[in-house]
Amino acid sequence: MILFILYIDPGSGSYLVQIIAAAVLGVVFFFRNIKLYIRSFFTRSSKKQKDNPPS
Amino acid sequence: MLSTVVQHPSSYRDPSGFIFEKNETTFRQVNISYKEHFDHFIESGFYKNLCDKRLLIPHEQINQNFTGDNNYYTTLKPEKISFVSYSYEWSFDMLKDAALLTLQLMKEALDHGMILKDATPYNIQWHQGKLLFIDTLSFEIYEEVPWIAYRQFCETFLGPLLIMNYAKTPLPQLQLAWPDGIPLAVIKSLLPIRINLSFHTYLHIHLHAEISAKKQGSGNQSQKFSKQKLLNLISSLEMLVGTLKLPDHKSTWSGYYEEATQRDGYLELKKNIINRWIGKLQPEIKTAADIGANEGEFSTLLAEKNIQTLSADFDPYCINRLYAFIKSNDTKNIQPLILDISKPSPAIGVNNEERNSFIKRANADMVLALALIHHLVIGKNIPFLSVAEFFHSISKFLIIEFVPLHDEKVRFMLEQKNTTPNNYDIDNFETCFEQYFTIEKKELIGGSDRTLYLMKRD
Repeated sequence: MILFILYIDPGSGSYLVQIIAAAVLGVVFFFRNIKLYIRSFFTRSSKKQKDNPPS
Repeated sequence: MLSTVVQHPSSYRDPSGFIFEKNETTFRQVNISYKEHFDHFIESGFYKNLCDKRLLIPHEQINQNFTGDNNYYTTLKPEKISFVSYSYEWSFDMLKDAALLTLQLMKEALDHGMILKDATPYNIQWHQGKLLFIDTLSFEIYEEVPWIAYRQFCETFLGPLLIMNYAKTPLPQLQLAWPDGIPLAVIKSLLPIRINLSFHTYLHIHLHAEISAKKQGSGNQSQKFSKQKLLNLISSLEMLVGTLKLPDHKSTWSGYYEEATQRDGYLELKKNIINRWIGKLQPEIKTAADIGANEGEFSTLLAEKNIQTLSADFDPYCINRLYAFIKSNDTKNIQPLILDISKPSPAIGVNNEERNSFIKRANADMVLALALIHHLVIGKNIPFLSVAEFFHSISKFLIIEFVPLHDEKVRFMLEQKNTTPNNYDIDNFETCFEQYFTIEKKELIGGSDRTLYLMKRD
């Protein structure tokens, strides 16, 4: 495995930045998913209202 | 190794196997050291999945050791690629789609317990109307470590796209200057300062460059990196690449056909002559190169006759629009390419053999060079003889249009240059081209003083 992994040099900087980026992105995507969920909840409910207009 | 087997000069980096040619057929040897990964790739159904989605070039597995190599595990015979092109010959949207394809493959690979161990545009080629992945041995069993090819992706895909996006201009030459990827520090220095405000760009370029500069040496292989973290990284890259664009721009050659159509049926008459000539030559003509193709009006005419056509122009905006047309119409037999005849792509890499020059790669049954000669001879001062030599080196038949000095467009060019060229006349044109070709047919295009020639290579 090491043989293949090293055939292009990733540099430890690239590994370290992935670890930092993944930590930051984990937080960003967590809040983004909450935002998207809330938005879809309201979009769905307003869509439902449109689909069933008051008689 | 047997004398008939020739290993491809660019196929030396990957210990998993290599490309070789035998009797003008391209094969890929899989080495025994890659056995575990290759077996997983096939048996997990991943290979079939990629072929079904038209993301990877299909191959035929041949259990025969052509090379006589002790490292042999198996041999693959991939489908033939009609013309090999490189990312410095692609338009912005082609490179962007190649980047998105790489990220999609990474996600598909993770679904099947694998990763991409490299991420370079050289692993992607134009095949049957779209860009697809050709390096079957790039997939490796996933082992919960950071992505080995992350920096390569940032330097070969993300960097050039970001620079073009912010410069608002096509810069395929950058990839020729740095064929193995633009160093992160250079990318960072070429981006505007305000980009620091872009979160994903800051993460993948600026922070990446700063940390890489401080921490040299090999990475910590034992560092655990979960699949979800890797997916977040890929999603971030995907979101960033997805937002990048090159605004369409009215270049000198935009709207050429609209203008040309208004010239007394000039385009239609030209098409009629070409149709008639090609009709008589078929089925001899299977491949063609339309040089100076603009947005591919005449390439389409060839493609409709089932001729595999390379549609080349030096204007990256025209090629980008042609690519959009091919994508939306699912056109299978036109390949868009950025090419400047005054400086066709050179041979680069180790011993100048890794990436062949355009001339060495091009080999068409026919070349179409319409309304082009005056731009080369008057616009660029290239002698008739050199132009003839260029076409002679890439094609068997040539359909070329001669545009005389008194033509409105040539007069306009001369006014701009404030000079009169020596020896630019039809007799000298014929004399020079007859040193390389035999003139088979010659016909005046009605409604103009332009002449169309059909020539055959001597």
